[in-house]
Amino acid sequence: MRIRNFTLLLLILGLFFILPFVHAQGATEAQNIAEGKKVYDNSCAHCHGIEGRGDGSAAENLLPQPRDFTRGLYKIRSTESGQLPTDQDLFDIITEGMPGSSMPEWETALDADERWQVVAYIKTFYEGFKESETLPKEISLKGKIPYSKESIEIGKELYTQFACYECHGDEGRGDGTSAPTLTDEWDYKSWPANLHQNWNYRGGNDIDDIYKRFVGGIAGSAMPMFEDPAFGLSIEEAQRYTQLDNKGEMTDAEEEEYTQLEDKMANAFDILDLINAGEGDEEQKKFYEESMKTFYEKSWHLANYVKSLSPEKRPEAAIGKNSLRSQYVEDELPPMDDAVWDTLEESYFPLVGQVIIEPRQFNPTIDSVSVKSFYNDTEVAFLFIWDDRTHNTAEEENEDIGKTYEDAIAIQFPVKIPKGPTSPKPYFLWGGKLAVYLWQWQASAPEKTTELTAKGINNATEQEFQGDIETESAYSKGQYKLWVKRALETDDKKDLQLKPGVFVPIAFSLWDGANGDVGTKRVISSWYSFVLEPVPSVKRFIYPPIVALLSLGLLIGLRGFMQRRNTE
Amino acid sequence: MKTKMFACLALLAACGFSLIVLADNHEEEDMNKLVFPEAYKVEAVANGGKISGVVKFDGEVPEKKKLAINKDQAVCDAVAKFDESLVVGDGNVLKNTIVYLMDITKGKDFDAEAKKPELDQKECRFDPHVQIVPVGIVLTVLNSDKATHNVHIFGTKKNNTSVNKQQPKTRKKMRLSREGVAKKAEGPIEVKCDIHGWMKAWIAYVPHPYFAVTNEKGEFTLEDVPPGTYKLGYWHEVCGTNNKAPVTVKVEAGGEVKQEFTLKVEETK
Repeated sequence: MRIRNFTLLLLILGLFFILPFVHAQGATEAQNIAEGKKVYDNSCAHCHGIEGRGDGSAAENLLPQPRDFTRGLYKIRSTESGQLPTDQDLFDIITEGMPGSSMPEWETALDADERWQVVAYIKTFYEGFKESETLPKEISLKGKIPYSKESIEIGKELYTQFACYECHGDEGRGDGTSAPTLTDEWDYKSWPANLHQNWNYRGGNDIDDIYKRFVGGIAGSAMPMFEDPAFGLSIEEAQRYTQLDNKGEMTDAEEEEYTQLEDKMANAFDILDLINAGEGDEEQKKFYEESMKTFYEKSWHLANYVKSLSPEKRPEAAIGKNSLRSQYVEDELPPMDDAVWDTLEESYFPLVGQVIIEPRQFNPTIDSVSVKSFYNDTEVAFLFIWDDRTHNTAEEENEDIGKTYEDAIAIQFPVKIPKGPTSPKPYFLWGGKLAVYLWQWQASAPEKTTELTAKGINNATEQEFQGDIETESAYSKGQYKLWVKRALETDDKKDLQLKPGVFVPIAFSLWDGANGDVGTKRVISSWYSFVLEPVPSVKRFIYPPIVALLSLGLLIGLRGFMQRRNTE
Repeated sequence: MKTKMFACLALLAACGFSLIVLADNHEEEDMNKLVFPEAYKVEAVANGGKISGVVKFDGEVPEKKKLAINKDQAVCDAVAKFDESLVVGDGNVLKNTIVYLMDITKGKDFDAEAKKPELDQKECRFDPHVQIVPVGIVLTVLNSDKATHNVHIFGTKKNNTSVNKQQPKTRKKMRLSREGVAKKAEGPIEVKCDIHGWMKAWIAYVPHPYFAVTNEKGEFTLEDVPPGTYKLGYWHEVCGTNNKAPVTVKVEAGGEVKQEFTLKVEETK
């Protein structure tokens, strides 16, 4: 009797566990779609449009543009080139959002059921989901090569062999020679990823994610599906081929070797074409399998290299323990290219588009500016470093990207340093009632920094008396460096006066001319603060011992005096 | 009560109207594309007729626009390159115009050559600029350059054939058999090399062989046309189409029909 009761209990308990699943599965596709439509119309349609064409009311200002679901082209997939995404892919994108774009994560706003319902609904926008008889083919992650120094080295060579630099640039900052002309299939400007800032990757920055982007491509964008440029060659043979290819003159023997390698590749590509067309004999199939294995191996090395270009995680903003602390040196301050700058940690200032005052920048291209600083008894030097894919020095009419302007940066300080942390600071957008003091540098005059006073974003004037701000700058491989040096104290009342140990508010405005930045259209930071790190005085090694000794002497003296008095 | 009903009716009417406008907009888009018969049947054509003629350009011939070559100059800038969206020859003849039969439902099969379409990338230029590819046929892309290209054929709602494949300089020939075979007729659609942003071309996926692209002399010829009356259409990259008012031609057995077209640059809407 007791046992039977127990079984019954188990059965009931079991039902409680199973029922929710039965229920979920029981919900028909039609129900899911109907529910999904409600969620979609509420949460997604503003950007993606009621009919899923990516033309919602908010779409106009967004770049990248919201996805047009009617084309069935999805950028972030775990499936092979030309394939539709899996349901899981769609679910993941909705859940996690797309960094560096306007697509937010929906994990907090929608529960999992709702997100799955949206998946069911957006699939209805494209017939292909219904028509395809087989499930999309997922990219296999078999044969993954562990992240190691050796692998990164091999990957670095492959980066050149695979011609990644054409768009992503020699060092990977998205500054390749093809970068300015890239658009997506909807003819919207799209910039290649800066591989040094992987927190902006739309589809995640795990090595697996990076690998999937190579193998599957990014549909609708300029990022192609890759094929091994040295298909059929081993990694060593490919290296040898590149070596010979870069050689101006070859000996006869080298010429022969080169031709042999070329023939080998041509033959391999022919086999690849056959297999792709569903033809080819057993031997050719075997050859294809082997060659693809090498290609996947190469792709893993490449993924490891790309991963290595970014810091492990996005640097923390320059506040608290990370705030900018100018370091004291006794001697002359180091010039821009001095290696001693490398000994300093960078302070990282994240930037956002200016969206308060028109014209606004909704689609910023500059992620951040990094700063280092030294000072001595009379002067201070700053090194500002930021990534910009293009070097624009003038206002120009560009056929591919429209009107471009010159690149620039302005470093902002208050004219009067607030007395304490709670004292009012000037308005962060170039001041208001309280004025700000600015250093402005423009790419057209690379060795000049102009001093401005501003009482508002549209109310800046060049200072009458231009102090002596020594300036050096350089643009190379998608990165700007600006070095400025100024006296700590000046005679001009409109200038900022600096003293060690005093926290000074600092903020930034930057302009990427190729992104249409000019005037109020720019990227900005809010107020941060920096300090000339006070030198721990040498006096601390002298006075305390003296005081200690004196006290000791005094005590001994006192004791002696007391003893004498007592004996008396 | 009555006013409310009227208001509702007005609202409904407004909705209906806006729907019509929307539908119209979609049609506008299609007006720039080719028109195809719903079905096409291959059969032997005996004693067919011929349609030929010249396409001319009406209007001020714009100056040839030299393309700015910003990279791989050694390979790409050896020969000066010009924008090919409007190529007008001596006597105002217009190159790269597709002339075709819109409503033919039966006729000859594609010939052997048409079934092996090739698109070359030579000196960083697509050749030909306008390409006809039969539905279901594999396109072969050549790379005659010592440079890396990427063949980017734009996807469409109809075919989902967005192809974007890198073609390294080591790969002289690439058959797009896996991803580039169109299942449905459409086009022309855009082809681009993203690495060399100036490289542009057009591909039309077509269901029957009665398509011609005009040559340097603006000439076109459609042969072996079964006797009958047809709508003759054209498409040009910047001059648009005559979808709204196609020309009617009557082809007699063994006969030849001459047809001339004069195209203008479409007014930008």
